[in-house]
Amino acid sequence: MAKLVISNNIRKLRFYNNEMTQQELAKRTGVTRQTIVAIENGKYSPSLELAFRIAEVFETKLEEVFSYEIIEDKSKREDNSK
Amino acid sequence: MYYQEKKTIASIISRLLILAAYSIYGILKYQEVGANLLNDLKLWAAAMLIFIGGGVVIAILIQIVFHIILAVANEVAKEVSNKAKCKGSEEAHEEFEIAEFEDEMDKLIALKAMRNSFIVVGVGFVIALVSLYMKMPPAIMLNIIFISFSLGSLFEGFSQLYFYRKGVKNG
Repeated sequence: MAKLVISNNIRKLRFYNNEMTQQELAKRTGVTRQTIVAIENGKYSPSLELAFRIAEVFETKLEEVFSYEIIEDKSKREDNSK
Repeated sequence: MYYQEKKTIASIISRLLILAAYSIYGILKYQEVGANLLNDLKLWAAAMLIFIGGGVVIAILIQIVFHIILAVANEVAKEVSNKAKCKGSEEAHEEFEIAEFEDEMDKLIALKAMRNSFIVVGVGFVIALVSLYMKMPPAIMLNIIFISFSLGSLFEGFSQLYFYRKGVKNG
């Protein structure tokens, strides 16, 4: 199965929202700062509910906050080329 | 290091203390009584009940001490930060976060760590059954089960630390 890599623009969006702190974002979304740090660093993929809450804090669409990239399996690609 | 990691370390310490105390008790008792101890199931049951009860008390005490230390450290950090501000210094002092709730990531990590803990307990149970099959005394089986539960809870703590450090993915 192809690998799905999720990335986010939370750091950038925090910067554009008057350098909002991670603590402030955590408070407004109802999670701990540790979770916000983990999401920002790509160590945790949030639930759909939390993802929408983050987008709502930044008053933007979900696609503006999170994006994904499909990385195909190397072995599969080699099989297809044969 | 964040609050949840510190809390996990505190609980690992309490579990380690209990396991060490139980091991020392078992070894000393064996040296005192000898091989007959392996047939005395009542003594082992009593010892395990005491250590389970003691374990709960020690875990609570360690958590209380941990929260006191964290609160004191937090106040000191605030004081230092305020003094630095008064002097016009921009030096930042991180405040220790005290999270009173578990969010979705904490719950996911707890679930994954518990799954790892069950694997250890399951393996321990199988080893205990094998020991019975090999006609070892029932006290050995009882001890293997008790120790596998202790190791399972320790493994749960270490798994939690690992997931907090390395991250956790859904699914």
